Amino acid sequence: MEPASINELFAILLVRDMRPGDRTIQVGANMPMARAAAVMANLSTHPDARILIGLGVQGLGDGAEPPAVHPFLFDPRTLAAESLMFQSRIFDDMSRPDVFFVGGLQLDQRGNINLFGIPDGQGGWKMRGPGSIGLATMSAHCTGYYIVMPSHSPRTFVERVDLISALGDRTERERLKLPGGGIRLVLSPLGVFDFDDAGDMRVRSLHEGITVDELREATGFELVIPDDVPVTAAPTDDELRLLREQVDVHGTLK
Amino acid sequence: MPNAGRSSSVVELDEALAVVQDGATVGIGGAITAGHPMALVRALARRGVRDLTVVAPVAGMEVDLLIAAGCVKRVVGCYVGTEVVSAVGPIFRRAVEEGRVEVVDLDEAHCVVGLRAAGHRLPFMPWRGGVGTSFPQLNPTLVEFDDPIRGEPLLAIPAIELDVALIYAEVSDAYGNAQAVGTAHMDVLLGSAAKDVVIQVDRVVTTEEIRRNPDRTMFWAGASVVHAPFGTHPSSNGWMTADEQHLRDFAAAAKAGEEAIAEYLRINVHEPADHAAYLEAVGIRRITSLLV
Repeated sequence: MEPASINELFAILLVRDMRPGDRTIQVGANMPMARAAAVMANLSTHPDARILIGLGVQGLGDGAEPPAVHPFLFDPRTLAAESLMFQSRIFDDMSRPDVFFVGGLQLDQRGNINLFGIPDGQGGWKMRGPGSIGLATMSAHCTGYYIVMPSHSPRTFVERVDLISALGDRTERERLKLPGGGIRLVLSPLGVFDFDDAGDMRVRSLHEGITVDELREATGFELVIPDDVPVTAAPTDDELRLLREQVDVHGTLK
Repeated sequence: MPNAGRSSSVVELDEALAVVQDGATVGIGGAITAGHPMALVRALARRGVRDLTVVAPVAGMEVDLLIAAGCVKRVVGCYVGTEVVSAVGPIFRRAVEEGRVEVVDLDEAHCVVGLRAAGHRLPFMPWRGGVGTSFPQLNPTLVEFDDPIRGEPLLAIPAIELDVALIYAEVSDAYGNAQAVGTAHMDVLLGSAAKDVVIQVDRVVTTEEIRRNPDRTMFWAGASVVHAPFGTHPSSNGWMTADEQHLRDFAAAAKAGEEAIAEYLRINVHEPADHAAYLEAVGIRRITSLLV
């Protein structure tokens, strides 16, 4: 079978990490790999979950036709659903979202995310990002969230983000009594990461062919690196078959 | 007493937009690539209205287009982009980096509760999301406070009061009973936060048709209705996908610079005499290829 693209690998790693109690899986803008992961989990490990993608709320555990992965979140084809969800209502039940997915321009050692942009220090912007969408709210409330970083470099993995869109820092979250469970994993093109007891980012595994030296070079801070770093388990044929034949039928993740 | 008869709210596009004055605070409905009242947006751009504060809660190319046409002073919202086509709205990005347009950053939920506060006629609503982030530093209208009931840190989100809300709905009757079919987004809140509401619709239907699904109806006293079929193009509606190629062409023009974007505006905004002429410029083959 053709090897997995990085977005296919991301989708599969997300599904593998979802927890038995995850009942509501919610996906935001510009994350087709997370849309695929939500559908894939619903079709395999999480038949009782509801997935919120774009406009539609789906439960695919009864054999319902899975929604295709479209390039745009609010594609009208997501209206074929068992319920509809709009922004004016979606924040009315903040005790329910279990899983959410987050991307960013910058991610730091403590797990904070910046999607605002890079300020110029004089009240303006050196680089303006898209804005933080719903990251602050969803990261504060959901049971757990995944950070997916499409690039891993000293510019994206920084010691301290310039601005905080989503507060990941465990110590700060506790001090401010944020109700959600915080970050579960960070995925990047180089590896999989979590946070140690002190709240600093730690390597869980490196993807096939990536060395610790390459990782150090690409990271703008000192990662916690265990003595033995495992290789990320490759996608199985079963996982790839499910993803390609039933979930990402248009090949959006290729 | 004689029945004076119910008055129609259906007006011509340019007449409806007369409520938008220079310097107005204008809410625009839809989200990212979906449900934007683009026929209204193009008409505003054509008219050359100035110094708008645009409240576009989850914005796509409508904000880029209005900035390109020189209409915008300030953008209030949580996102400007078109996902896989442009991670950041390219015209928005350049204008903000060059200091020509000011941004008022909000979280998506801040948009919801801020609009709700305006509808509720309250000065603010409390919200938790954003506590511990850079929001209050970037946007000093957001005020951190300790909740008086449990003493927990919260943010006060000020009311987002609009002069005008521009909203898309699939249908309305002649009296402004509008029904969005699958594209409600944050629109109902925008309407309630606004002094004036303009609703762009694909079809004007009988009130009999509206009465079949009364639970879908949104209405605001004094709202006007503009008939502009396929008028969300290039964003999607409930039965037409977004025009990805058009969005890519727009993004390419935006990145190519002033001349290319002026050419885009000439073809799509300034030359078409009306909405039908815009649709002719897009072409029937392209439009029908988008129907789901």
